[in-house]
Amino acid sequence: MAEERDQTGASWGDLPQPDEYPEPHLEDGAVLNGEAKEKPTKHEPVKCKLNLLQMLKATESWSPPQSRDRYGAEKSEVGTGELVPEALKTGMQIQFTEQKPKFNKHSANTSCRSPAGSISQSIDSYSSVCSESEDESSPRDKPQKTSKGLSDFCIKNIKQAEFGRREIEAAQQEMPALMVLRKRACGEKPLAGAKVMGCTHVTSQTAVLIETLSVLGAQCRWAACNIFSTQNTVAAALAERGTSVFAWRGESEEDFWWCIDRCVGAETWQPNMILDDGGDLTHWIYKKHPDLFKKIIGIVEESVTGIYRLYQLSKAGKLCVPAMNVNDSVTKQKFENLYCCKESILDGLKRTTDIMFGGKQVVVCGYGEVGKGCCAALKALSAVVYVTEVDPICAVQACMDGFRVIQLREVVRQADMVITCTGNKNVVEREHLDRMKSGCIVCNMGHCSTEIDLLSLRTAELRWERVKPKVDHVIWPDGKRIVLLAEGRLLNLSCSTVPLFVISVTATTQALALIELYSAPEGRYKQDVYLLPKKMDEYVASLHLQTFDAHLTELTDEQTKYLGISKHGPFKSNYYKY
Amino acid sequence: MSDPAGEVKLEVKQASKEVKESENVAEKYSAMTVSKNSEMNMGELSSAFSAVPTHKPVKKQIQFVEDKQEFSRFPTKAGRRSLSRSISQSSTDSYSSAASYTDSSDDESSPRDKTQVNSKGSSDFCVKNIKQAEFGRREIEIAEQDMSALISLRKRAQSEKPLAGAKIVGCTHITAQTAVLIETLVALGAQCRWTACNIYSTQNEVAAALSETGVAVFAWKGESEDDFWWCIDRCVNNEGWQPNMILDDGGDLTHWMYKKYPNVFKKIRGIVEESVTGVHRLYQLSKAGKLCVPAMNVNDSVTKQKFDNLYCCRESILDGLKRTTDVMFGGKQMVVCGYGEVGKGCCAALKALGAVVSITEIDPICALQACMDGFRVVKLNEVIRQVDVIITCTGNKNVVTRDQLDRMKNGSIVCNMGHSNTEIDVASLRTPELTWERVRSQVDHVIWPDGKRVILLAEGRLLNLSCSTVPTFVLSITATTQALALIELYNAPEGRYKQDVYLLPKKMDEYVASLHLTTFDAHLTELSDEQAKYLGLNKNGPFKPNYYRY
Repeated sequence: MAEERDQTGASWGDLPQPDEYPEPHLEDGAVLNGEAKEKPTKHEPVKCKLNLLQMLKATESWSPPQSRDRYGAEKSEVGTGELVPEALKTGMQIQFTEQKPKFNKHSANTSCRSPAGSISQSIDSYSSVCSESEDESSPRDKPQKTSKGLSDFCIKNIKQAEFGRREIEAAQQEMPALMVLRKRACGEKPLAGAKVMGCTHVTSQTAVLIETLSVLGAQCRWAACNIFSTQNTVAAALAERGTSVFAWRGESEEDFWWCIDRCVGAETWQPNMILDDGGDLTHWIYKKHPDLFKKIIGIVEESVTGIYRLYQLSKAGKLCVPAMNVNDSVTKQKFENLYCCKESILDGLKRTTDIMFGGKQVVVCGYGEVGKGCCAALKALSAVVYVTEVDPICAVQACMDGFRVIQLREVVRQADMVITCTGNKNVVEREHLDRMKSGCIVCNMGHCSTEIDLLSLRTAELRWERVKPKVDHVIWPDGKRIVLLAEGRLLNLSCSTVPLFVISVTATTQALALIELYSAPEGRYKQDVYLLPKKMDEYVASLHLQTFDAHLTELTDEQTKYLGISKHGPFKSNYYKY
Repeated sequence: MSDPAGEVKLEVKQASKEVKESENVAEKYSAMTVSKNSEMNMGELSSAFSAVPTHKPVKKQIQFVEDKQEFSRFPTKAGRRSLSRSISQSSTDSYSSAASYTDSSDDESSPRDKTQVNSKGSSDFCVKNIKQAEFGRREIEIAEQDMSALISLRKRAQSEKPLAGAKIVGCTHITAQTAVLIETLVALGAQCRWTACNIYSTQNEVAAALSETGVAVFAWKGESEDDFWWCIDRCVNNEGWQPNMILDDGGDLTHWMYKKYPNVFKKIRGIVEESVTGVHRLYQLSKAGKLCVPAMNVNDSVTKQKFDNLYCCRESILDGLKRTTDVMFGGKQMVVCGYGEVGKGCCAALKALGAVVSITEIDPICALQACMDGFRVVKLNEVIRQVDVIITCTGNKNVVTRDQLDRMKNGSIVCNMGHSNTEIDVASLRTPELTWERVRSQVDHVIWPDGKRVILLAEGRLLNLSCSTVPTFVLSITATTQALALIELYNAPEGRYKQDVYLLPKKMDEYVASLHLTTFDAHLTELSDEQAKYLGLNKNGPFKPNYYRY
């Protein structure tokens, strides 16, 4: 355990070093965006309307350069993982050592979230529901055929397609925004001609996304971005409908790269769009198929890791296609941090400990988005909430919201619960743990497993007792017990589920980013990493408003003139803080 | 954090980076200015934006006409707040009018005509009556109680005198709160000369108290326009004393210096501007390439924005409604138009009192936020017949139209928290068939022919400024921000700030917040070295990247 913790900490400590990170992150992105985007906007006002139909009309008149690719097919002779260049390989290995042990131990991937990070990988916690292990042979060895005779796919068992279809249909119910998008845009086919290559978790939610892309006119080939997260039934259902899927649950690392390679290396099919989660696919194409890479119209990247890699590429001047960072879009960020954690903190604590919150003294470490969500939820259940914070602005916010701002050691003796959400390390130390009262619950909502100093609890005098899955009692020599949840991993990923609504927001954002990149006029996006334009962000939100039966007010012409904004958005300036 | 001078040194290292960031921000702002322009051009809105037309002499007159009218009708000035912007300009008035008990009626002669001498023999000031100094001192002492942040800034920086050598010429409202700011600047080593940015807002006794201590103040309540410019000129034009810093609210002083004393203006080290109007003027200057000194926009600093909008309105909506109507909130159906910072504040407050709150919104992102916070998002037309209270906070115009007012039920309340007096179409209610009845100050009953009454508060002006007070704590945030901006500009190494308009560096913003934390007895956690390294942050901040949304 300790070892694993170290590795995790190290790999992530190395990755998003905020020193280098913020620079290309949003400020630049936003400004570049503003430059590249708003200038052409003025010449082509049609393209900036929130109304997708209007946007798409502009698309029709613009012919994608994908026709060039059609004849430039070249045979790709790429072997297995051995050929992966050194730099990339080390990156991959770290990632895999990190993932494997976790998956073996827990059904959910306790992935890290950097302060502004993604929970993309959390979709696993879903997929774990339906796993089956009746067949031990590798799918690579057996050719399979769909009912239509296609064999350009590689999955566990095509016969499971029917089960998978049911899963997908269930997911469709919960992702109304994508279904609305299908309806609104299927006449226009904004992605007609797009050849989208995807590398994400292959789950029923992703399947809804993939099929939405197909309805909008795209051709898709898909691989899994995680060797354990694939839902085999869903992969089968996708393959049955004609999407070339190369993924199964429990791939080896070699399988992983083989799948990606098969996905890319079709002789008659060259991708022109990339939808990536983690950056593996992007790197593979960049390294192995540089010619192909140059002809890509755009990359949509979802994860913190992948975006970090893209910024590095861009900084080195090696990024020769436009890429879009969907992770930092406003809607997605709010949902993954504030709203999601607001609900999952209660859920996670209830499931694991059955605690009653009223009157309990709770310390929440950190008052960022996650902390704000946790505090609001706990306060609503009448817990007495304290906040610890390092940033004075956030601390003042906490004060004004009615929370006492204290240092942890001041109240640690009385606390019934300590929840960390700082993105920092060793926020709760052995010294604090020593002074807690018996029965105090300690859990982490923040970032990786670094926030609670667990290593210090692995000493001889303390006894660990597992009372139920994810719940450990750490017993002091004098009989005091501390209740540690999920071994200090992320409570919201380990002990509660991510609401489908949140995944729907992510998937919709991805779909719109693809549409935006694919149908943008030449010159709007250069060879850089962009943020999703605000009007698309607003469109994601508006697609989800239907769920709430919310009725948006429309501006009158007079009012738009008064405010100096377009009737269809964007409604706020880029620096608006929401 | 206890050592601002040290911080300043630290920042030197990051100077180049920060300058770059600020420039980016400035770019964005210039983009914004364009859209503001389109607002400006609309003639009929002169009441909202009169202060910003391009031709200067005309502008002045319009501004004053407006001020006078409003002041003559109401004790407070119904100021303007644009979309996500400041209440600084007007908010101070409502205070001063409440606090100014020594009124000028006893003496009708103009202060310009009579020479006064303070107890130290200086006569370099012009106030109503220097003998009121003692009253003013009490006022200032009361204000000091609530402005502990400035007092602790004094204590922390007194020995360093970060403003030693600074000659600050200021043009703001002259109230007890400003006096605390001025005296803080003096304590930090600056020499100050001050004038009023509004002809009605000066607290005479405070001006006297300041003059008594040796600050050259040129201001009294009820100046004429001529007096106003005379005061500014006397303030700037003093032999043997050339200002090197400007603290402005509204941009009048800056423009006067720019036009009349270009040579002095060129030697200015920095301008700190507080109001939306003034900031807008600065951006225009900067765009035209005529801004030859660095300027700092303190209006848009995070802390100030949050307090001016979210926190301030959260409290004043309840206060304003209670004072005017004594309404009970529980179970009332309320519609809040707009879910920006102001709307979020209003909704939170109303929900806490058990009101049933619905939202109208145009921006899908904000609408989604409202949904997730548990408010129904509706169109006003759908619910207009049932609502008990409508509160507008959109920054837009004609959000509540005559048509909607016609359909409201008897006894419903309409008020505005947003922007100027444009949000409710009050003009459409001035028709012969409707009877207006003033039931008490700021409360009108508009009576339809069938006897239906709609209660209109503050004639559609800003409720929070007209019918409630701005907490001193909010003014303290503003004043502290100004003081730190002055320190930052004055101490910045050459080259950090060029001839442009900058936002307050995040670090200073955080410092403003940290100075106010003591009020709450809040104990900030400090990063350990190990943690700071892990996060890649400096232990003393800034803690967040510039794009962080808070």
